[in-house]
Order: sequence, then structure tokens, then C-alpha cells
Amino acid sequence: MIQEIQRNLTEGRLDPESYVEAYYVRIERREAKVRAFITLRPMEEVIEEVKRSVERLRSGRHGRLEGILIAVKDNISTMGIRTTCGSKMLETYVPPFDATVIERIRREGGIIVGKTNMDEFAMGSTTETSYFGPTRNPWDLSRTPGGSSGGSGAALAAHFAELALGSDTGGSIRSPAAYNAVLGLKPSYGTVSRYGLIAYANSLEQIGPMARNANDLEVLYSVIAGPDERDATTVSAVLEKKEVRLNGLRLGVLDDMMEVSEKPVKSVVNDVLNKLSSEGSELKEVKLGYLDYALPAYYIIAMSEASSNLARYDGVRYGYSSGEEGLWTDVYSINRGAGFGWEVKRRIMLGSFMLSAGYYEMYYIKALKIRRLIYDNIASILKSVDLILSPTMPILPPKIGDVINDPIRLFAMDVNTVVANLAGVPAISVPAGFHNGLPVGLQAIGPYLSDYSLISFARELEKITGYRDLTAPE
Amino acid sequence: MVEVNEELIKRLERLSLIKLTPEERERMIREVKAVLDFFDKINSLDLSNVEPLFHPLAESRSREDSPITGLSQEEALLNAPRKENGFIVGPRIYSGDQS
Repeated sequence: MIQEIQRNLTEGRLDPESYVEAYYVRIERREAKVRAFITLRPMEEVIEEVKRSVERLRSGRHGRLEGILIAVKDNISTMGIRTTCGSKMLETYVPPFDATVIERIRREGGIIVGKTNMDEFAMGSTTETSYFGPTRNPWDLSRTPGGSSGGSGAALAAHFAELALGSDTGGSIRSPAAYNAVLGLKPSYGTVSRYGLIAYANSLEQIGPMARNANDLEVLYSVIAGPDERDATTVSAVLEKKEVRLNGLRLGVLDDMMEVSEKPVKSVVNDVLNKLSSEGSELKEVKLGYLDYALPAYYIIAMSEASSNLARYDGVRYGYSSGEEGLWTDVYSINRGAGFGWEVKRRIMLGSFMLSAGYYEMYYIKALKIRRLIYDNIASILKSVDLILSPTMPILPPKIGDVINDPIRLFAMDVNTVVANLAGVPAISVPAGFHNGLPVGLQAIGPYLSDYSLISFARELEKITGYRDLTAPE
Repeated sequence: MVEVNEELIKRLERLSLIKLTPEERERMIREVKAVLDFFDKINSLDLSNVEPLFHPLAESRSREDSPITGLSQEEALLNAPRKENGFIVGPRIYSGDQS
């Protein structure tokens, strides 16, 4: 609750030491089991920064995030703070520059508390492919927190930070948001700069905000969004804040996504849909079509782009080096073979295959054609409804070790989320409820550049469900 | 359909510059096969009249063509595993005997 914290710090009801210590006490108590962070900053440093924030707050000239503790996914470059991407390849890499989003957060007085665990190079949906070991879900330590931004989601659920940044290539913000009972926005493509985000699949991914309530999510999004000269794919459109009202709101419920979801998920989501209906929202069933094809199309595109993006890791300019001598092709191959984990190697090799002569048309181009069909279908559905709803994840958070060794089951977790990335439209995950203590998320997809409407929808939903600022019990 | 065998995986190792151990190669054969089976579903659609969508944005913008400050030499070399006199030490780029 950004506003409340800032008021308390300004008025002296909260002193910097005890304010920061409260977070670190929680971290001390739970982090050994949860393992949300790869790198945690020393408490003393954070307290010093908060002290300077308090001075600015009291002077009346302060930033929008002044004094707020933010957990940052470890694929977002932070100057002077190790940025590993969850990989042995970058275990000791310290970026000499800040990502644009980090520059903007620092400018607004936001304070980075640490770098969060993630699937290696964001390739995974459970945070289990991390070189540093899995993160566990604070709501149930035997289960995954989703992924790939699982550390960020878990950090919020355990209240190790007030806000978090994730990145979303095919659901990597929304999955951990859903599984940790917090909020996460995959922004409209091009509204948030990717400069300094370690690239996985450029045409699909965006950095996005995660938070414990809709107001905080809005503040963080408003800070990180905006055009950036250093990312040619950022758009110059200025997004205006917008309020939606549930009464009369036209909501399309994706029939095909409901169908593929398991029973407990469906029943929690149906309860929320009924509540929306009693608030006067107009619900109707819609069908995306091509859902069976969306998943393979998404993975073909993501792996193809990955194989090209990850060509930069050679262990010579930076990254893991085996120290071997020899011809460059051999040295690079040894460094990459030893520096990358299994999931990353598999995706690079499949991507290289699908971009190779003879297979390019058969896989890559066909996948891009399916992308067109999905893009068109979403646009056409959004002509008759304001937002499209579905469960964020088709299943409850899986147990650690349950899906990780079966690539097809792992991929299937992303079936509801990938379509927004394929089409470049914004999508949000909001806590919908619980099944036996396990969080379930509701996904809302909106038209391109409707990000603030999605956040406003989340705020309205919060009012009727009461799910805000949730912390998983210890 | 392509046959996924050791020969293909070795070719992909060369294309990707990734060296696998013999055990990894065995596992890769199995998993690449499974993933490609899954991907082959898309070949059942008739897509002849559909234009591929490479990117969600129709166009991107270029910045002014004016110099900006980049990294200093020291910063650029910060993460290089081997460096000498301000240079990165890299591997050999050709082998002495071309046999």
C-alpha cells in the first residue's frame, strides 16, 4: 500500500529502520524455504536509501515510488547488482548499466530489495529450471509458485517486498500472479521498454508490474511505461488512466479456455463470474478458435527467436567460460554446453532446427500464420465485448517435480496465457479465489493499449472479492 | 517428417554451437522427437491464404541519428573472463592444420 507507507514515513509514524526491518524479518523467517531471491541486498544499504527517500518525502519534492521496496526479476539489468537470468551462464555477471525500467524506478525513488529467482532465461512455467534451484509457493511449500517470474510472485505472497517486476513472454507474469494470489499485468506490446531486459523472444515479451493490490499495480505501471529511444519497438502513444464500471460491462468468457481447465479452477472462476453478473456485467460465451494450435505456434516462435537471441553467449566477452583452449567453434560449444541448463539447450536446438533450411516454411512460417489467425480472432471478439475473461492457469499450482520432466505437460500450462503475447494485447491476472487453500487467478484480456482499463477492472473486482494485500500464512 | 536421430542432433549441436555429452544426446533425441510430434499438429491446418504475422507492431521507430554515450572501455570489459591490456582474450579463429 504505497500511499499508506509513504504517509507513515513522512509523518514519522514509521521510522526507516523498523520499516525495512519488518520486511527483512519476514525474509529471515521464510526465505530459507521459499527461496524467492537469487540476490538479496544488505539491509543496511536499503535502510540508507529509505532514509534519503524520507528526506525527499518530507521536502514535498518526491517521486511516485519514494521509499517503496521492489523485488526485480533477475533477467532485468541492474547496474552494480548481479543479474544472472537464473543461469550458470551469467552466475557472476554484473551489468554496467541499468535497464530503462530500473532507471525510471530509481528516478521515482523506488528501492530495489533484491533480484528474484526465475526459470533459466525465463524458459519454464514453474521456476524449477533455475540454476539456483526452485522457488517454492508460500501458499503451499510442496508446490511451485508458477513461472517464469516465480520468485517475484512468491516474494509478494510472503510480503518480502511491496512491488515486483516480472517479464512475460507467454504468461510468465500472469502464472506466478495467479499461483501466489497477487496481481500481474502483461502490458500491451511496446508500452514498456525492453532495453536492459535479457532477451528471450523479442516479439512476444514485455516487462510488467506485479503487486498486492490494483492501486499499487497502477502506480508501478505508470512509472515503467512510456516510449524509450533505446527500444525501437516502444510506441509513442500516451495511455490515459481510465475507469471502468462493472455495471453494463460486456465480458466475453472464453468457452474453449474454460473447457481445458480442471474442475476446481473452473468452479472458482465460475463463482467470480456469478459475482460479476450480480454487479450488472453482461457475460457472454465467446470462442477463440485455434486454441489447440496456439500453443505449438507460440512455442515454435519463442524457440526460434530464442535460438537467435541466445547466440550471443560465448563465454568470451562475458558469461561462463570453461577455460578450455582451442578453435573458437569448439571453445564456444564447450562453454555453451556447460553454461546452459537442459531446458535452454533444448529450446535453442529446437529453434535452430526450425529456422534451418527446409524446415523454416514448415514450422516457423506456419506458426506465424496461426499467430495472424489468433490476432484477427481476438480483434474480432473484442468488437462485441469490452474484455475477454478466462482462468489464468488451467490447473492448480503443480507439485514441485510434477511437470518438469514432461515438456508437453509443461507447455500445456501456458495454453490460456500465450494468446495475449501472440497478439500483443494486454492481459492481467487478478486473484479469483482459492481451492483448498490454493490460489486461482482470473485472466482479463483487453484491446491493444487498454492497460489502464484492465487495472481499473482489477480494482473493481477487488472490491467485490475482497482479495487484496493477501499474505500467505506461515 | 524428419527422422530425429543422432545424426540430426549432432547437426543441431553444430548449428547451435552447443556440445552435448553422449547421455544428453540420447535424451535430446527422445525429447526433440516428442516436441516435434506436438508441433506437427499445425500441419493439419490449411494456411495457404494466410499472411504470416512476424511482429505485433506494424512498424518501429528509429531514434535521431546522433551520438550517445556508450560504455567506457573499463565497463565493457568488466565481465570478460580473460582480458589483457584492455583487450578481450578470445579463442583461435582458425586451426593451423586444415586437415
